[in-house]
Amino acid sequence: MKRTFRFEPRLQDVEEDVRREIEAHLAERSREFEAQGMAPEAARQAAIAAFGDRGAIEAEVRAVHRQTVTARRRTLRWDELRQDVLTAVRGLVRSPLYTAVALLALAVGIGANTATFSVLRSVVMRPLPYPDSGELVQVWTDHRARGRAEPEWLSPPQYFAIRDQVPAFSAIAGYQGWGPSLTGEGDPEALAGAAVNADFLTVLQVPPALGRGFSAADDDANAAPVVILTDGLWRRRFGGDPGVLGRTIQLSGQGWQVIGVMPASFRPPEPWQILRPIRRPVTSRCNHGCIVLRAIARLAPGATIEQASQQTAAAIARLIPESPEDNSRVGSWLVPLQDQLVGPVRPALLALAGAVAFVLLIACVNLASLTTVRAAARTREFGVRAALGAGRGRIVRQLLTETVVLALMGGGLGIAAGVVGTRVLAALIPTQILEVQAIGVDAVAVMTMVGVTLLAGLLFGLLPALQGAQPNLMGVLRTANPDDGRRAGMVRRGLVVAELALALVLLVGAGLLLRTLVNLQRTDLGFQPGQLIITNVAYPSARFPEIATVSSNLEQVLEQLRRHPAIAAAEVDDVPPLAPGGDQDVTALPDGRIPPPGVEPGGIWYRSVSPGTPRLLGMRLVAGREFGPEDRAGAGLSVIITEEAARRLWPGEDPIGRFFTSGPDPDSQRATVIGVVADVRHDGPREPLKMQAFFSVAQMPTRGTSLLILPSGDPAAAISAIREIIRDNDPQMPLGAISSFSERLQAVTALPRQFALIVGAFATSAVVLALIGVYGMMAYAVGQRRREIGVRLALGAAPAAMLRWIVAEGMWLTAVGVGLGVLVAAATTRVLSASLHGVDPLDRTTFVVLPLVLGLAALLACWIPARRARNIDPVEALRAE
Amino acid sequence: MAGSDLFTGSLDLLILKALQWGPLHGYAIGRWIRQWTDAVLIVQEGALYPALHRLEKRELLSEEWGISDTNREVKFYTLTRSGRLQLRRESARFGDYARVMTAALAAARP
Repeated sequence: MKRTFRFEPRLQDVEEDVRREIEAHLAERSREFEAQGMAPEAARQAAIAAFGDRGAIEAEVRAVHRQTVTARRRTLRWDELRQDVLTAVRGLVRSPLYTAVALLALAVGIGANTATFSVLRSVVMRPLPYPDSGELVQVWTDHRARGRAEPEWLSPPQYFAIRDQVPAFSAIAGYQGWGPSLTGEGDPEALAGAAVNADFLTVLQVPPALGRGFSAADDDANAAPVVILTDGLWRRRFGGDPGVLGRTIQLSGQGWQVIGVMPASFRPPEPWQILRPIRRPVTSRCNHGCIVLRAIARLAPGATIEQASQQTAAAIARLIPESPEDNSRVGSWLVPLQDQLVGPVRPALLALAGAVAFVLLIACVNLASLTTVRAAARTREFGVRAALGAGRGRIVRQLLTETVVLALMGGGLGIAAGVVGTRVLAALIPTQILEVQAIGVDAVAVMTMVGVTLLAGLLFGLLPALQGAQPNLMGVLRTANPDDGRRAGMVRRGLVVAELALALVLLVGAGLLLRTLVNLQRTDLGFQPGQLIITNVAYPSARFPEIATVSSNLEQVLEQLRRHPAIAAAEVDDVPPLAPGGDQDVTALPDGRIPPPGVEPGGIWYRSVSPGTPRLLGMRLVAGREFGPEDRAGAGLSVIITEEAARRLWPGEDPIGRFFTSGPDPDSQRATVIGVVADVRHDGPREPLKMQAFFSVAQMPTRGTSLLILPSGDPAAAISAIREIIRDNDPQMPLGAISSFSERLQAVTALPRQFALIVGAFATSAVVLALIGVYGMMAYAVGQRRREIGVRLALGAAPAAMLRWIVAEGMWLTAVGVGLGVLVAAATTRVLSASLHGVDPLDRTTFVVLPLVLGLAALLACWIPARRARNIDPVEALRAE
Repeated sequence: MAGSDLFTGSLDLLILKALQWGPLHGYAIGRWIRQWTDAVLIVQEGALYPALHRLEKRELLSEEWGISDTNREVKFYTLTRSGRLQLRRESARFGDYARVMTAALAAARP
């Protein structure tokens, strides 16, 4: 159908039209009735009767028109929208700087938020991958009343008491770490696994995909040894062959029958590859050193964690008469499994979420501020358009469209940035959590950001749009208004102040994290790992029944290593610094004395090392002597302790020559102190000091230890030498992963470093955005006042005075913004305290230096446009109007 | 269609037919239909008007105010080009329809 240009009649006109038409009809009809011989009155009535329901018919005609009018309006509106979008795109292309800055602001703001909230939702908010995972709790014992801050594992009697006496738990299972070496299936390999109670998989509610789970009978000390493989191990080492079920595999020199394979979707709470029953129902009374079990329990339906906690504490209390020293003043400490696993990263992620929310806020404020400035600069354009007949609504809509188009483009970029950013952020999450919770870009996070983008576009488009659309027509057309309205100016200044304040908050946060990082790197660890590389060796008792053979073999291996040209030094340490797990403390009674009642005897961490280890690790001897040939097997037990141990065991006294025992028994072996080394931060720079005791491996042999190797040159040559020597020594011995000490140290500081880097990046973008905001506003202010400045210059004002006049305003705004920022920062940096180390959340240096830096930068951003005020040529400025 | 028990579309077709020989005002269209259908088809005369307006919206008719033979101000309707096409198409279609219906209804045996 050909489109014709026509005027649409208004609905009122249509009504009038129809009324007249019907009147004409009735007149004609009555005339006809009259012609048939009816009286005029009767004829009229007959005409009306013949016509039918007049009201209904008029309504129907109106409806006919209304439908078409709406349809037409709809197409008209669509056309206008298309026109608005085109105009908007054209306008944006015309001011590339504005567009670029706005897009950057949005991309950074939205990208950072998408990434952070994706990670936050994947890690902190998503339930663990077990059915009804909200019911799972990690069961610890609480020894705080006994002076131990950390949650503690369970002793077997405690485990059985809890299992039998806590109705609030529907099931509970204990477990221990287990590190068997797999042999006879290609290269020997050290596996990470767990020894679990038969109920373990029942508690998690994840049955094996192949074969069967553990039964109570499997958990007996005399039962045939059985194992369940994880899907990963099954595929990697057994080619995914279902025939593995029922086969017997060699683990640490003993045969174990495979009874099941877990599904691929199974994520154990720790990165285990293999599970076996504990097979050690320790019902006998167990002494203090016997806190060996971790446990996960499932809350019974309807039971609360508080009920479970009370019942657990009561169950432990019932053990007091039987064994007071193990159970008095021991409480229960239940942690939802989710918190247990992701708890450590939650504060950092929440702080990060706060930081990115700030970045988005700044991006929006920046967008609003730039848009207001732009709108103000275009007041004249809008005035002209209004004069040409554009309705106010039309102008508002056009401005809004521009912002929304911008917001959508920025949002698209931001989401793309978010996808990349999610991967960067995932590096913040410890691998142990990643094993359990996969991280991906979260759909909800993306949708939220799309919503936020649109909202931001509308909100911040609306503000300037309303301002831009109420031009005082006459005033605008007559001349550029020197001040386009006090209120508009206030809004712009307010936005710049807000931007500066927000940027400062982020900057202070980043500063505090950076100082934390520096503190961590400066912390004296008490050892210097240098170029050391490290690997584990294990001597399972099934293959080395005599501990003496272990010692002699280890000595032999060390000798071979030391003789190899690629290796400069080789020592052993069963629990080297920064090594995860495998650590257990032993009671230390100084001089064998029983501590007075109510005082918890200190726990000391035992390490079994070769005589050269302290020196190789770079520990500093502060008193006494190193290990010598006299500290041999059979001689009196010698020990080197750390300063922390010396301070706590013999406060203010000389520890050399003193001894401690591990129990009050007069037969307990005495460990005589021969030396003291400077404190060793065994677990890394952030962790508290431990009392540590180093024994000679000759006097305290161990079946599993770590080799510490110093390469003489190329570490790769040293590594292949290690492989060769270990293989030649015993082809069945698995070689654990070979890592370098500096890698381990890096890993310890990786989280704070990444965190500081990311917040630093956010703070930098926030500062840049804020400075752009300041610059834009000052440039605009100078442009607006060209005429005023021109007049003043023409009247003899000094150009320098003009500069000062403009800069003074900028200074004032900067001062307010920065001051406000300091206040907000002081109120909010507390949320970072969990991530800080050695620096107060209100650290004075940070709170003085950074505001100054930001202030100076902001002044510079003011000064550059202000300089233009000085260079204004009065004649030109006045002529331009 | 209020006030009419015509087969669907019949009124529209009759209006178009009434205008085949030239412009008519609403009342004259109604009179023509009454005459040619023995006043059987139209119960309410007013029912004509929504139909007229609908056809006008579909651009099958155009409208124009003018003066009637009786010297009254009335609205004249004229067939547009597409109205003429529509009339031809619909007449043929209705012819077919009427023929088959008549034949079918006159059938004597199953």
